[in-house]
Amino acid sequence: MTLYAATFYLLGIVILTATGLAVTRRQPIHAVLYLIVAFLGTAALFFLLGAPLLAAFTVIIYAGAIMIVVLFIIMLFQESPRKIGMRSEWGPGLLLGVVFLAVAVATIFKDPGSRIVLQGAVAQPRDFGRFLFDRYWLAVEIVSVLLLVALVAILHLGKRRDTEETEKGPSPHLSPPGGEGRDEEVGYHKEGH
Amino acid sequence: MTSWLNDPSLMAAILATWLPFISFLLIMVFTRNHRRLSGGIAVAAVTGSVAGAIFLLTRHGGHGFPIHYSARWLIAGDISIPFGFLLDPVSLLMLLLVAAISFLVQVYSLGYMAGDPGFSRYYAFQSLFAWAMMTLTVSSTLLQLYVFWELVGLSSYLLIGFWYERFSATQAGKKAFVMTRLGDVAFFIGLLLVLLHLGNLEILEINSSEAVARMPSGLLTLAALLIFSGIVGKSAQFPLMTWLPDAMEGPTPVSALLHSATMVAAGVYLFARLFPFLSHSADAMTVFLAIGTVSMLLASTMAMVSRDIKQVWAYSTISQLGFMIMGLAAGSLFAGSFHLATHAGFKALLFLCSGVWVHLYETNDVYEISRRGGRRLKTPMVCLVIAAAALSGLPPLSGFFSKEVILAALAGIRNPLWLAAGLLGVFLTAYYTFRLVFIILFPRGEVRQEPSPHGRGGMGALYWTMGCPLVILAGVTLMLGFLETPLREFLSGGTVAHQDGAHAWLPYISAGLAAFGVGMTWVEFGRRAALQVGFVDRIPPLRELFTQRWYLDYVYRAFVEVVIDRVLSRACAKNEDRVINDSIDGFCDFTLDTGHLFSFLQSGKLRYNLIVMFGALALVALYFLLA
Amino acid sequence: MIVPLGHIFLLAGIIFSMGLVCLVAHRNLIMTLIGVEVMMNAAAIAFIAAALRWKLMEGQAFVLFILAVSAAEISLGLALVVSVYRRTGSIDPDRYDILKW
Repeated sequence: MTLYAATFYLLGIVILTATGLAVTRRQPIHAVLYLIVAFLGTAALFFLLGAPLLAAFTVIIYAGAIMIVVLFIIMLFQESPRKIGMRSEWGPGLLLGVVFLAVAVATIFKDPGSRIVLQGAVAQPRDFGRFLFDRYWLAVEIVSVLLLVALVAILHLGKRRDTEETEKGPSPHLSPPGGEGRDEEVGYHKEGH
Repeated sequence: MTSWLNDPSLMAAILATWLPFISFLLIMVFTRNHRRLSGGIAVAAVTGSVAGAIFLLTRHGGHGFPIHYSARWLIAGDISIPFGFLLDPVSLLMLLLVAAISFLVQVYSLGYMAGDPGFSRYYAFQSLFAWAMMTLTVSSTLLQLYVFWELVGLSSYLLIGFWYERFSATQAGKKAFVMTRLGDVAFFIGLLLVLLHLGNLEILEINSSEAVARMPSGLLTLAALLIFSGIVGKSAQFPLMTWLPDAMEGPTPVSALLHSATMVAAGVYLFARLFPFLSHSADAMTVFLAIGTVSMLLASTMAMVSRDIKQVWAYSTISQLGFMIMGLAAGSLFAGSFHLATHAGFKALLFLCSGVWVHLYETNDVYEISRRGGRRLKTPMVCLVIAAAALSGLPPLSGFFSKEVILAALAGIRNPLWLAAGLLGVFLTAYYTFRLVFIILFPRGEVRQEPSPHGRGGMGALYWTMGCPLVILAGVTLMLGFLETPLREFLSGGTVAHQDGAHAWLPYISAGLAAFGVGMTWVEFGRRAALQVGFVDRIPPLRELFTQRWYLDYVYRAFVEVVIDRVLSRACAKNEDRVINDSIDGFCDFTLDTGHLFSFLQSGKLRYNLIVMFGALALVALYFLLA
Repeated sequence: MIVPLGHIFLLAGIIFSMGLVCLVAHRNLIMTLIGVEVMMNAAAIAFIAAALRWKLMEGQAFVLFILAVSAAEISLGLALVVSVYRRTGSIDPDRYDILKW
């Protein structure tokens, strides 16, 4: 086992642990914090796999900006953070995850191409940047337009239209609390003939 | 098809049979409100039919038979059933008979039904009947005959229930239709058997000898019995005989035409038509003989105690039809056919005479008619006596000759039982006929001296429309007996071997029996001191048995109630409820339940939709994995 | 010599599954979005591995796009969550079931 392989496995364990902890937290803030750790691990993994620029981008954008935004939004809700975490239903989700994982594992190990051992290589940032703007400059421009559009949309969505709306409380759009029992409600009546 | 305009015989046949149909359509569509026009159209149509029949008879008098016209009608693979006319001696004779009696009855009805609100409807139905009966007579295939057989039954139903405001009339019509239908179902099955084995239903082919060679004898007997069941139903033989007395609810001319001379004779006519075919099976013929005998005797006993004048003649019709069937089953085609012809004449005459009194006094009861002075109307009275004498078989009237032929045929059978039954029938016939005649002729009790309600002079033309047919028929009755030999030649299509004189004593015996019957009724009913109580009336159980029609109706009612109502109907109702309804409902419920079961998918919850989405994705991946 | 390609894909697959579970199991819209982020992370890892295997830089370019799109998407998603919260006062997706049969 080479050093690279050992590093990979170690990083893999870190990422998995962090992600696993992140998804199982009740409080979103805890989840976000664990997720930041996971992203830092991911960045290291990118570095190992020969993409230093992307590793930097991951740290700056993903862990540094996106997760902070999420934290801000969590803080935005006027109730206490403790109230936001709610009871989760693990059953169907776990089943789905297991099924999906099984299919993925089977797919991966059926393919003979997955036995190829990767050789180490690095894409230098200068080369990468040149490559990107040589060949995929249009995609980059479109992505920037996308970000602009997202910005406009968020500004529009974030505007408060009526100041009274937030003081009204739960609106009639919502079904009343205790909605678990609704599955038993019969939509039609079995009538005698 | 193009030659039908050129061939006068075909033209005459088509006109004779289809003119009444045109009349029916015209009356039903256009002239419902114009009585005189309807009556005129109908009588004109049937006059055309009579002319056509006479033309055909004179044109082909005795040679060149059989003449066969056919046009393509039903073709399915190998089976071809054409629509056609088969003209041979029996059919032409019957055609003339039907046309003539229809004509006379329709003329009579101009007087009888005058003033009735349903006058046009009556003539429309009469035309319908005439068309159906005449086409039945000249049909060339059994299926065509069956179609018109049913049409005749339909017109009978319509005419029996003509005064539909009366509940009893509608009941009678329904009963007639259902009972004859029962026989017709068996007839149809027999027809199908014949079709299966012979490949077609041409009457000529059925009667030919190679047809018989192709059918195994057991099946032949079965087919013969089944076809005979149709005859039993239509001609009111035992056991399907109780509809005919009830059918007297219809107007008297209808009874005269349908239920004495022509429609019920259609059964006997069918027998005559298929005579070569049916006579190949000796077992079936024995059965036919037995049924005819039983019907004849049973009906005669029922006639002996009835007070209703039309019912007596109805029972008499059943009895005489049984007699005809006996003659045919004994092996003599001529015997049955001749008696059919003569019976049509005098039975129609009997009904029409009775109709005069029924119309005048509005009662069917014999004692009532006699008390109100029925005998003072001379024309009906004289004609009644003539017809009654013919019915009883008194010489020299036509009935005597035709009964002779039948008795001679019966004497030819080895078993003397049948001849004895025939002779007993002769005696009983004379008895019940002259019982009626003497009751009317010699009334007891107070004779009301009322003048005829309508006054002789007041009826005027109507009196002549009712009177002339009576006279014509009486003349026919007198004459027809002497035409025996020419008719025999005509029907056999050539010269006939001279009859052996071994049964020379037979005419004397039968005439003697008839005279004995007349004498007995004279003693009981006709003498001045007679009590007008028959010997049967003195034995109450016997009288009860005869009046209740030998409890046949009770048997039928019990059968209908127990077997059909309780068992069959209930089973079918339960089947409909449990099996059909509930299974469909169960299917629907199952569908609904399944839908309800799967409605959890529509939980409206975002997470579950996402689960389903990713689950589908996993399945797609699985597919690519396995493929 | 690093590792067989299958191992990296396996890692990516496990991370994806975990993100999937997070997506559907939590009754909190924020956690839903976090699940989406985790899944995108897994996809990025897979792309980098593929880029290394074929020695093509397109894979890395795509990861850059993933990053950008993820940023746009999560900020938009959060804006929507805020808007929904303002309207209805709850961020439990199970309570928005007006379309339920």
